[in-house]
Amino acid sequence: MNNGRLIWPALGFIVWSSAFIALYAMLSVGCRFGWDQVELPGGMSLQRAQLIVILLVHLAAGLLLVLWLRKTAVAREAGAGAFLARVAWLAAVAALASTAFSFFGVFGLSSCH
Amino acid sequence: MSDIPPTRQDPIRLHKQLSAIWDTPSGWGRLSAVNHTVLGKRFMAAALVFFAIGGLLAMLIRVQLATSSTAFVGPDVYAQIFTMHGTVMMFLFAIPMFEGLAMYLLPKMLGARDLAFPRLSAYGFWCYLFGGSILIAAMLAGVAPDSGWFMYTPLSSSAYTPGINADVWLLGVTFVEISALCAAVEITVSVLKLRAPGMSIDRMPIMAWYLLITALMMLFGFPPLILGSILLELERAFDLPFFDPTRGGDALLWQHLFWLFGHPEVYIIFLPAAGAVSMMIPTFAHHELVGYRAIVVAVIAVAFLSFGLWVHHMFTVGIPHLALAFFSAASGLVAIPTAVQIFAWIATLAQGRPRFDVPMLWLGGFFAVFVIGGLTGVMLAMVPFNWQAHDTHFVVAHLHYVLVGGFVFPMMAALYYWLPHITGRVGEHRLAAPAFWLIFIGFNLTFFLMHLTGLLGMPRRVASYPAEAGWDWLNLLSSVGGFLMTIGFALFVVDMFVQIRFGRAARRNPWGARSLEWAMPTRPTSYAFASLPQVDDRADRLDPAALAPKLARGEGYLGFVRNGWMETLGVDMTTGRPEQVVVLPRQTYKPLVSGLATGGFVLCLLFKTYLLSLVMLAVTIASLLAWTRGMGARQDTGPLPAGHGESLPPHWQARRPPSWWAMAFTLAADTTLFASLLFGALFLWLVAPGWPPSTLHDPNPVLSALAAAALLAAAFAGQQAASRLLGGSSPLPWLSASAAAHVAGAVLFLVLALSVEGRTLHAHQATVFVLYAYAGLHTTVGLIFAGHGAVRLRGGYLSAVRSIDLRIGRLWHDYAAASGLVVLAASFVLPLLAGSLGDGR
Repeated sequence: MNNGRLIWPALGFIVWSSAFIALYAMLSVGCRFGWDQVELPGGMSLQRAQLIVILLVHLAAGLLLVLWLRKTAVAREAGAGAFLARVAWLAAVAALASTAFSFFGVFGLSSCH
Repeated sequence: MSDIPPTRQDPIRLHKQLSAIWDTPSGWGRLSAVNHTVLGKRFMAAALVFFAIGGLLAMLIRVQLATSSTAFVGPDVYAQIFTMHGTVMMFLFAIPMFEGLAMYLLPKMLGARDLAFPRLSAYGFWCYLFGGSILIAAMLAGVAPDSGWFMYTPLSSSAYTPGINADVWLLGVTFVEISALCAAVEITVSVLKLRAPGMSIDRMPIMAWYLLITALMMLFGFPPLILGSILLELERAFDLPFFDPTRGGDALLWQHLFWLFGHPEVYIIFLPAAGAVSMMIPTFAHHELVGYRAIVVAVIAVAFLSFGLWVHHMFTVGIPHLALAFFSAASGLVAIPTAVQIFAWIATLAQGRPRFDVPMLWLGGFFAVFVIGGLTGVMLAMVPFNWQAHDTHFVVAHLHYVLVGGFVFPMMAALYYWLPHITGRVGEHRLAAPAFWLIFIGFNLTFFLMHLTGLLGMPRRVASYPAEAGWDWLNLLSSVGGFLMTIGFALFVVDMFVQIRFGRAARRNPWGARSLEWAMPTRPTSYAFASLPQVDDRADRLDPAALAPKLARGEGYLGFVRNGWMETLGVDMTTGRPEQVVVLPRQTYKPLVSGLATGGFVLCLLFKTYLLSLVMLAVTIASLLAWTRGMGARQDTGPLPAGHGESLPPHWQARRPPSWWAMAFTLAADTTLFASLLFGALFLWLVAPGWPPSTLHDPNPVLSALAAAALLAAAFAGQQAASRLLGGSSPLPWLSASAAAHVAGAVLFLVLALSVEGRTLHAHQATVFVLYAYAGLHTTVGLIFAGHGAVRLRGGYLSAVRSIDLRIGRLWHDYAAASGLVVLAASFVLPLLAGSLGDGR
């Protein structure tokens, strides 16, 4: 069996980690360069827009991962590979929910105060 | 080479043959121990000694705070006492205690004869012992660290702590962390590679999952603190201003680096204890663990989430609301996977027919105390409450409920549970119940009341408080509770002594457990299993009573001795299919020598004798290189009989032996340290005051291009050397080329580092200087790897099928090149970023 499947259980939370790093870093960059003061057409600040885009990209990646893992997880395969696939799927679902819960503040909270 | 051995042997004869190879010699020979059982016990014994020292310091704290008028030491000494209490308990008790338990149990639970790198275990032990001794010696000399166990700057900077107090912490703790990283690599590789045949990843005992994930957390959690310690020591010793806000540094950078380690650390301490709980509860419930898969998912979730909540220790430092929300949400979220584990344990008890014995008493205490700690943790995760309770005794209460509840109580249960295994004896335990109740009541009296003093506004780390505050009676009761707890621990020590000294001989597996560590004689033999089991079911629902005699008769794998080798099996990480015979190193004094040399290096740094420290560093490296002498083989070997009709290659002829994985995981930790350094550079650029600097670093493009070429050439030559060897031709020319390129790289990075002007004037230049130093250090180590390859080739240890030395070296060459190129890119990008800040702030 390919040992590459050992990394699968971590994939969901790797996406969560990526979202965390990207959002925290870009929040700091945006605040440093005053992007919260730059208003885009429609009234949204550049800061909020870029943070929302980052979050949505990660939510989409997490969702795709869940759907992809689900196919393997529900297969009638047995043994270590199936175990890893199911653990990976459950972890990816948990990570997707964590991503939504951890970062939903980008839609409303003040970003640089 | 022996022929295929018989499958069934006389157990006594086999025991004698194996003992002659595996036993640690007596007398001074004990210092040559590399055996996991011996070292695990030593780790635990040393950790308990440090626990006693930390407890003594806690009693002094409670005497000091008993009333508003009982202060018996001044603030200076009190600062040393509470700093050392935290430092000892976190670094010298909790982590080494779990390392010791893991070291002792893990091979036995996995069905292996030892851990993957026995000498690394021994080296880790000596580093721990010497590092801890430096800290305790400093305390006895009155120069203990005194800036809190978290060493916040600028209090710990040379301006406010000019003596060696802070240096003792930075160097002593870093020394101990070498030990922790050794253990992390050891545990990770051992769980993944050294299991019984058939023990696929889904059949591992649940504690192996906990320990694997904890070890991985250590690999990624400790490097930020090691980096922080290095940077702070560089600031204190050489005036490089990483944390000085007047010169472009920022005290908050230290807090980030510290808590990037510090919060995962809480879970690094808790998860192994939870693993032990997950092993004990099914035994006493007479029911297999409910929710094995859910627990694995939960532990993975905890591991990741714990890295995303470090800022909840910094909610009051002035961070944007949105960032606070990220960290607050993650801090609250982590309670969910923790609760999943707790519900799984309760469900196991509910499904089974629980039998109550002494370990269950402690597990009951664990449930009560830890759940309270978890709930106050959720309270502190909420920003508004955190602002109110920050730096008060409420936080002291919370952290003790979590750490004592989540680690000490389960460890006490574990000691009672596995003591018959360790000693081969069972006790009467007449003192066990009184000891438990004294500790349980004393603990709650001590710390529950601190929630109240905290809510009343009593700050942490104060040596005295005014009588008008009205905190006297609560503090007095806390102190009474502290002494009750101490009496309880004294009773516990007596109970342990009675069991160890006078206990009855235990029958094998007295609790009726169903995991592999009980399928062996107790006390355990040095070789753990006379032969290795074939595992056909999950490793916590086996029948040790039926298995043990078969294994003792040599009916499993490797049930024989061969060439005086210490052998165990390496398996495929996922399926558990046997794939190599791992030959472990024999007893040796080399780890002790390396530990002493490392200790000498640390002491030279502590006393600022830097030239001598370079000598000690060279001695340390030479002593570590000496470990490889005599390892491997001078001729190719055919597959070795391993029992059950299997023939397997020795590990030095395997494609991915444990040592390859050890290097891969070491580089993962190294990458984390490098990423933390880059994070620090970007953090200072974005957040620190005093930017942009008055002058920007001006990178030399010619030297940089030459350095890049040297790095790429070294990596290419390293790759070619390995390829040539695999193809059957001599790799020596390419090894020489790699070495030459590394020499060029090291010289170029030295010149680049020394050409950084104003490195003591601003953090910008100091950061570039450290980046160059990092790359230079890595290419210097690359030179050592290339030279080592040449020495091994000359010694006859390399061939087309014995190429592991060069393949490990190749990993390093590639990493040195990749990280060095990033350093060179950063040396151009960082000045551009600094220049982009305009007029500054």
